[in-house]
Amino acid sequence: MMLWRASGLLLLGAGVLYAQSADPPQNNAGYVPVLSGGMGYVHNVNGGVTSLEPQIDPILLLPLGSHFLIESRVDFTGYYQRQNLTSGPYTGTVYQTLEFAQLDWLASTPVMATVGMYLLPFGMYNERLDPIWIRNLQDPPITAAIGNGSSGAGDGIMLRGVPYQNSSFSIQYSSYFSALSTISKIQASRTAGGDTSIFFGNHRLEIGTSYQRYLQGRQTNNVASYLSWQPPRTPLDVKFEYDRSYNGQGYWLENALWLRQSPFLQNIFQRFQFVTRMQQFDPFHGGGNGLPSVGTNRFDAGLNYYFKDDLRLISSYGRQFSSKGNENVWNAGITYRFLLPLWPGRNK
Amino acid sequence: MIHRRPAILAGSLVACGLAVAGGLKLYASPSSQQQNTSAQSQPAPKSGNSEKSGKSGHAGKTAKTGEQIFQQNCSRCHQAPMSIPPRITGTVIMHMRVRARLTGEEQQLLLKYLAP
Repeated sequence: MMLWRASGLLLLGAGVLYAQSADPPQNNAGYVPVLSGGMGYVHNVNGGVTSLEPQIDPILLLPLGSHFLIESRVDFTGYYQRQNLTSGPYTGTVYQTLEFAQLDWLASTPVMATVGMYLLPFGMYNERLDPIWIRNLQDPPITAAIGNGSSGAGDGIMLRGVPYQNSSFSIQYSSYFSALSTISKIQASRTAGGDTSIFFGNHRLEIGTSYQRYLQGRQTNNVASYLSWQPPRTPLDVKFEYDRSYNGQGYWLENALWLRQSPFLQNIFQRFQFVTRMQQFDPFHGGGNGLPSVGTNRFDAGLNYYFKDDLRLISSYGRQFSSKGNENVWNAGITYRFLLPLWPGRNK
Repeated sequence: MIHRRPAILAGSLVACGLAVAGGLKLYASPSSQQQNTSAQSQPAPKSGNSEKSGKSGHAGKTAKTGEQIFQQNCSRCHQAPMSIPPRITGTVIMHMRVRARLTGEEQQLLLKYLAP
């Protein structure tokens, strides 16, 4: 254990020294290691069963100069329920999951390379919207299980970048290959795939599509198409995604509206965000792989209150409809994003 | 089997949300519209002297471009941070360059804007 700690400190120190020797001259940005991430607590009631879910997801960012970055995120989520679901004392456990541990090489604009364990860039949710402090609604969409294999991560190599850009739009891509890994903590499926999107910056509109092929088992394909739009003059965030796999297909549409432009009580309402999401799912071949076995529809509405950009109260109500029975889902809690330097570097 | 009733209900509520958004925009006062020229508009992040550079000459032009990139790209996924300490700005922007697939030029403009 001591050896691991010493190695970690040595790596940290080497990174800091290397980083500080490679300061770009045009700005005063520093490159010290960072501990960031999100934490929070969610009180969930699903079909009358209460779950208590504290969570912390620290991310370590360790730059090696201004072109290499080691980054890793670990998820610690506690999951506590009553012993008999609706009665008895609360019991549970804390689950630890290594979500990614990767080395990035920021080689050039068209090509950035990542090796290690990385989040699969399939659709919008897994890579971009999953952190607890980013989610507008705490429960992920039903189809978030599509394209994310057993762990949501791939073990291998990924290339990404911007092959073309002009003043109106940019075209972005990610492509990857993941090897099969059955090792605990770094499980991954043998897959290959990619994601590409076109982003109209002035209109804040992004349209993209993802493709993935499983190179094991049935060798099935997964596809996703998505749209993300933040109208420049309206405090609204619209996201839509359609996913299809061997096990089913579905879509979700989410709208997050800030009440900043309320004609009354603006001081109060400007901190509120009203969120709605509707989704529909149809199973194929009996569903499975994290997907329901029957057709399922769900509607959610939530209200979030932001104390600051990094601290908020969350609340939502959802109603799920399926032939197995309808149920209500309630969530309430608090989330916080932290961002800390890990080294006493100078503030220029 | 798709259940049409909840779909209609959900669609109606989404439409209501959009209508409320439009309504709020129509009723918003001119001053509030000026303050909210963007969907996720946030005050400039408190980092170094970025606010100063945003008001003057060539530096202002650079800062504006950096600010545009900041506003356009952060809000694609999350709330833009209000402050980033200068000594970690380089690290954070490296992380975001990979995640958001930013160009090298965008990275440099962001660094100038956030840690001038």
